[in-house]
Amino acid sequence: MLKADNIVSIRQYYLAVFITIILITILTARFFQLQILDYDQYSKKANSNRIRKVTTSAPRGLILDRNGQILVDNLPTYILNAVPGELSNKGQTFKLISKLVNYDSLALSKSYGRYYRGRFIPTRIAKDLTFDQISRLEENRLNIEGVYYQIFPERYFPSTVNASHILGYVREVDKGIRQSLNNPTQYELGDIIGWSGLEKKYENYLKGKHGIQFYQVDAYGREAGYVSDFPPRNPEPGRNIITTIDLDIQYSLENIMEGKKGVILIGSPETGEILGAVSKPDFRPDIFTGRILTDDWNDLLLDPGKPLVNRFNQGLYPPGSIVKMITGAVLLDHQDFDPHLTQDCVGAYQFGDRVFGCWLEQGHGKVDLTSAITQSCDVYFYRTIHYYDLDKLSKYFKKFGFGALTDVDIEGESKGIVPTTDYMNKRYGRFGWSTGALLNFSIGQGEILVTPIQVLNYTNILASKGITSKPHFVMSEILNKNKDSLLPAEDWDRITFDMEQVVIHPKGTGKSANPLVNGANVYGKTGTAENPHGEDHAWFIGWLDFLENKYSIVVLLENAGSGGAIAAPIARQVFNDIIDLNSLAAK
Amino acid sequence: MIGYRSLEYKEFPLSIIVIATILSLIGLVVLNSISQGEYTGFINSPFNKQFVFLIPAVCISLIILFIPRYSIHKYSYPLYVIGIVMVLLPFSGSAHAGTYRWFNVPGSGFAVQPSEFSKVFTVLFLARYLSDHTLKMKQFTSIIIPIGLVMVPTMIVMNQPDLGTAIVMMTPVLPMLYWSGAKPFYLFLIIAPIFSMLTAFQTLSFTIWAIILGGVILISRPTLLMSILLFFGNIFLGLLSPYAWNSLTPYQQNRITTFLNPEKDPLGAAYQIIQSKTAIGSGGLFGKGWGEGTQTHLKFLPVQESDFILSVIGEEMGFFMIAVVLILVAYFIIQIIKRSFLSKDRFSSLALIGIASILLAHVFVNTAMTVGLIPVKGLPFPFISAGGSFLMTSYLMVGLVLKLSVNYTD
Repeated sequence: MLKADNIVSIRQYYLAVFITIILITILTARFFQLQILDYDQYSKKANSNRIRKVTTSAPRGLILDRNGQILVDNLPTYILNAVPGELSNKGQTFKLISKLVNYDSLALSKSYGRYYRGRFIPTRIAKDLTFDQISRLEENRLNIEGVYYQIFPERYFPSTVNASHILGYVREVDKGIRQSLNNPTQYELGDIIGWSGLEKKYENYLKGKHGIQFYQVDAYGREAGYVSDFPPRNPEPGRNIITTIDLDIQYSLENIMEGKKGVILIGSPETGEILGAVSKPDFRPDIFTGRILTDDWNDLLLDPGKPLVNRFNQGLYPPGSIVKMITGAVLLDHQDFDPHLTQDCVGAYQFGDRVFGCWLEQGHGKVDLTSAITQSCDVYFYRTIHYYDLDKLSKYFKKFGFGALTDVDIEGESKGIVPTTDYMNKRYGRFGWSTGALLNFSIGQGEILVTPIQVLNYTNILASKGITSKPHFVMSEILNKNKDSLLPAEDWDRITFDMEQVVIHPKGTGKSANPLVNGANVYGKTGTAENPHGEDHAWFIGWLDFLENKYSIVVLLENAGSGGAIAAPIARQVFNDIIDLNSLAAK
Repeated sequence: MIGYRSLEYKEFPLSIIVIATILSLIGLVVLNSISQGEYTGFINSPFNKQFVFLIPAVCISLIILFIPRYSIHKYSYPLYVIGIVMVLLPFSGSAHAGTYRWFNVPGSGFAVQPSEFSKVFTVLFLARYLSDHTLKMKQFTSIIIPIGLVMVPTMIVMNQPDLGTAIVMMTPVLPMLYWSGAKPFYLFLIIAPIFSMLTAFQTLSFTIWAIILGGVILISRPTLLMSILLFFGNIFLGLLSPYAWNSLTPYQQNRITTFLNPEKDPLGAAYQIIQSKTAIGSGGLFGKGWGEGTQTHLKFLPVQESDFILSVIGEEMGFFMIAVVLILVAYFIIQIIKRSFLSKDRFSSLALIGIASILLAHVFVNTAMTVGLIPVKGLPFPFISAGGSFLMTSYLMVGLVLKLSVNYTD
């Protein structure tokens, strides 16, 4: 196969070598011409014809309340960039700048190190400069070669509310953040990016698109005009988002909660819109803009009140008695169950070798379902557990949205726990738990854990008799309503009646939530949740019917005491404010 | 058979390995300059990427060393078919920037350019075809068939569309035919009409071409009728082409120029050339220094990591390094030609001259483009330009050169 001999002659070989040498020589000669003979010409061209690509930041979209009031705005500030390759003496230049604008020169070098990406890429050295400071730099233009200023839109909070856990905060994109993104090309170092809350969830709406401009600059770095070959691209501002928040309600909630620890949520039961949400302690949202001082950041991180934690979304709490309407619905589901049959409450209940107490030590006496809910009797529910089992109860809890994410449009939501047989077996072993767990579960204690946003969803379901949408913070028309009303109509009527009794009956645990205003009907349920962290958590859930408007409410005060004594009066304060706002609007 | 026993060390072309290594190192040094602080993600930096791809590339050349020569000979026909299937593969996927040059390897996240490998397979195929057939190369017709066979993958590549690679794929045909004894005059016959059409758009170039044409006819002395037909046929074709061109609508003209120059970007190819020339020219004798090239780092220089990498070398390391690179490359190619000449069997000889032609075509087209001698064509410079597929192809060729240039006793 390889027998065919090579027949190439020396002439052919020489020709091939000759052609190779000729071609390479042509190329080498051309390089010689460009680099040696025409060096001066091209060198001049490279130096005088420098074009600088400058990206201009696009303002983020605004965040508005439901009535169009601005919650988050942009404020134009000035930033200072240095082009590393054009700094002749970095130390001296920085020293001069720090003298001119009264800025720590160490901070300049620090920022320079943080944003450095390459010798000819503008690197941010200072931010939040005023027009006055920029003017002083401009006067010394020629002494600070390689340094340029730019307008930068910074987040600004014009309203009177914090709403920190709703709005969230933004961060400056640094090298670490940029590498963690899946669309890093859309961000430059120093850009701001939504890091929590709505700022994060709606980043793609809020984020604008960079503008790009090409400047021709002379040897001193002075801009000599635009470059016609590259048309500039104007920055595109981000889109605004309209939240469901009512600024006035939010303001009232934050006032009422000042100095307390806990959550208040106000919703619109039929739509699932959240009108106000406060998680205290919170923080001023503008703490993250501008030159955030490390001390401030550490204060927030180390604060024992954990102001950075979004309690309504992430906080897990035992619900206590506020879930008794679910237990009631499970009972009503059994054909033999008679809601009018009374049980005797003597303040405690012996189950096996354990004694389960009622919150009222002297006992409620004879109670039926309505009075058990009105007075929040525990023993009534202990005595009726034979009508259902653990899994039936958990099924009903899940129907009302517990144990699952509500998909509220703020990230970091916790799922909570609804105990099932599987769950109990896994956690305690097959024989490690008894029916005693069901007694706890029936009154919202024990393993069950919920988030306040789940409780708002639950309250909305109760108030709308099952026809509602999931709670959300941004106006949306695409959310589906739950079509299944979950319970029979007469059950809903009973629940509504019972919850009204809680507030209006003389023995009702929630009577201090009643604003006692004509035309204002309040429905509610209190909860006093025992927990391992100290004092009981105080709950109040319910809704206000006023002038054809419905407002659902969730009040949670951490380790504050009983729901009736602590949470209910706060709910009344909120209802009063809402009624005042409504009357104000009516006038 | 293979084995070190039969391998004569004296013949082993050590210079091939040394030069390939030096050029690869120069490439890495330049890519490292470009990669400074620019890219996020390890594999997005051209330096890291090239460094990683060097490993499989070197492995390929080592593997070739252990494949018996007769196997290479035996499988060169199937390889030709595989090469054709490979260049068809990209059409099964989605277009990359409007072209079908790249094939996404399923599940790997990598894209390969099959045409790079395909051109080497074509050379091996042609080497076997021309060495197997005791063709009467003195006849004109016997050079038409091999050209037709090479046209098959070439036309597919041209439709990807990738004119640069198609040209490189066709380039080895002429030297290989010449090597196997075809009359230079016939080869001239084939390329003459192309030159007639291209030179016809300018009076001076067309005059020079007519003189060359006449001279060649005079030297090779075909029959009178043949001479007249050849000369006036070509002149006539040349004179006609401007009219044919003008009779096209501007839209059609645009289609053709875009086809001939697919890299035309919104800023205009001329702009790229100006930036490249400015970068090279301002480098001077010793350059601005590593990482100091303003044209490079201000991003004026387009596709600097592959097509215009010589401009980066020119700007940052000056004429000195350019001369080093070009002399090394010339020596490298001449070494391959020499091995081809010294080779005992015709298959190896033809494969080697084919590989030398591919490398020379890459070097010439890429370099001539960066200095503005020819229109912009997206072809990488061997061993230096970033690009996994071509790097592996280059080392595949190194492996073949090492294998085929040693005369075994088998």
